[in-house]
Amino acid sequence: MSNRKRLLFWGLPLFWGMCLFLATLGLPWLEELFRQIAPGHRQVIYSRDSFALLLGNHLLLVGLAALISISLGLASAVFVTRPYGRDFLPLVTQVASMGQTFPPVAVLALAVPLLGFGALPTIMALSLYGLLPIVRNTLVGIHSIDPALLESARGMGMSPLQVLWQVEMPLAANIIIGGIRTSVTINIATAAIGSTIGATTLGDPVISGLVNGNTAYVLQGAILIGLLAVTADSCLDRLQQWVSPRMDSRT
Amino acid sequence: MNILPTDRVMPVLSCASLLSFWSLDFLSFQPNRIVPGTGFSADAALGWPWAFCMTALLLFIIAASFTRLRYRHAVQLVCLILLLLQLPLGLAGFSSVQVPDTLPHARTGIASGFWLLLFFAALMLIELQQKMHLSRLKILILLMLPLICLFWVYHTGQIESLALVREYTARSSQFQDALRVHLLLVCGAVGISLLSGFLLVSLMRQWPFIQKFIFGLLNFVQTIPSLALFGLLIAPLGYLASRSEFLQSINVSGIGWAPALIALVAYSLLPISRNIFIALEEVPYAVLESARGMGMSRVQVFLHVRLPLAMPVILEGVRITSIQAIGLTAVAALIGAGGLGSFIFQGLGQAAMDMILLGALPILVMALLADLLFSGLAGLFRNGAKQ
Repeated sequence: MSNRKRLLFWGLPLFWGMCLFLATLGLPWLEELFRQIAPGHRQVIYSRDSFALLLGNHLLLVGLAALISISLGLASAVFVTRPYGRDFLPLVTQVASMGQTFPPVAVLALAVPLLGFGALPTIMALSLYGLLPIVRNTLVGIHSIDPALLESARGMGMSPLQVLWQVEMPLAANIIIGGIRTSVTINIATAAIGSTIGATTLGDPVISGLVNGNTAYVLQGAILIGLLAVTADSCLDRLQQWVSPRMDSRT
Repeated sequence: MNILPTDRVMPVLSCASLLSFWSLDFLSFQPNRIVPGTGFSADAALGWPWAFCMTALLLFIIAASFTRLRYRHAVQLVCLILLLLQLPLGLAGFSSVQVPDTLPHARTGIASGFWLLLFFAALMLIELQQKMHLSRLKILILLMLPLICLFWVYHTGQIESLALVREYTARSSQFQDALRVHLLLVCGAVGISLLSGFLLVSLMRQWPFIQKFIFGLLNFVQTIPSLALFGLLIAPLGYLASRSEFLQSINVSGIGWAPALIALVAYSLLPISRNIFIALEEVPYAVLESARGMGMSRVQVFLHVRLPLAMPVILEGVRITSIQAIGLTAVAALIGAGGLGSFIFQGLGQAAMDMILLGALPILVMALLADLLFSGLAGLFRNGAKQ
């Protein structure tokens, strides 16, 4: 890919990322505008924590949860597709698809009686819920590979580990990243609601604005959450596209 | 060659159940709502004989998977249902022994061991369903046994000291209101988006060039987190409501049902219209052609051929949409739309765990039921198409 093409390709995520960056730093300067939206409030810019801190914390929560669910999800999907774990394949497939009928809010709420308030239960709930799309997509990805291809890889003398890393994973990468994308999108939204269970996230301004009837706070939080979600989604979308053509050129 | 493989799934799951049954607190007891509860292990809560009976059932499940019996899965299923029957009975027994009449506010609670046992039992049920190729309806009918038992102990007042039941009795009318609002919002959102989905799709079939734009827009909306979309709707709706007498008269404002419904419809439109679009496109051209050839009018072809054939995929869209809407309506409680989510967030605010459960558990059940209902309906249409 030439430089110009690459810039165009990553243009959309870059654009949303810039918007997010500018909004995080620039919202406090729009005080006059927000005063119009929430007249009668002495303070119209959320100031308990800086937006940068909220954004950082939100990203940290989602990132940690994604790390846990990607590693656990990949590991369990790989385990059940190997000969020694095949017994568990029907169960895991069924649970991964049935689990997604549970609304993420309910999972988040149920984490509290079991684990208490704070950031840790949020991460646990996010990673547990985020596990499902990753497991499901990894299974779909691995099963969509032509068995003849695996057979020939084995026939070339590749070890099972080599087949996994050099054939199965690259061929399934596109679908796996699709699962990661779903998981991260849901988790960014759920982490925002996590501020009701005591995690510090971009949901804080929204919740505090709703409680105090301060529309300006709500708007600031909502803009940042929306921009974060759109940025992350477009990044992962491009990553997904970036992975697929490379495969084609190899085969 | 008919050597049945000994499977490891059931033994692993039963061992996990045994472990959680014996190592964690099974039930708990609170003298009143505020004092933290004390946990009871399984043998302390149920007494030795009962706890051993349940252990024996689990051990029997393990043993059965090492046999070569043809009916071992059926045996395991019977054991599992018997085990599940013990759970409501155990609750009732524990309540009658532990709660003295002198403490009218005492409550019994379900502890982590019980929940985990329930979780592993659900996994075993799913595994057995797959192994025995049972339909979900049959499993549901079997599950009716423990559920009827639960209803019986509830109805006869044997578990009125259970914390969840106490929370419910204290708020039964509120709960019914919340349930009604929740269902109304979900049905409203799904209904409106189904109608507008058909409208959108017919527009897209008329003018194919808007297809990419509309799906792009709907996809974009789908990416925006619910809390953000609800928040973004408050200011414009509030502004409109302050300007319009009519909107005020139908109770529209920045918070409440109006932004909730708008956001729910916005989220529902993508899965619904995508599925309607795909479903109508996928009907084979030859089928339509032969229907026309039989002398059917355009309307007849649509109603009698195209729509029934497209139905399974459309219903799949309705399934996804209603499950999604059930969850999102819970979030809408934050902007004052009511519904079961209000129990969750009130419970979180007061750190009242049983109130959180009172909101979250019905939401889970609703989502599961919607899933069951619409996948069942889609299956019916699919079978009808085959015949």
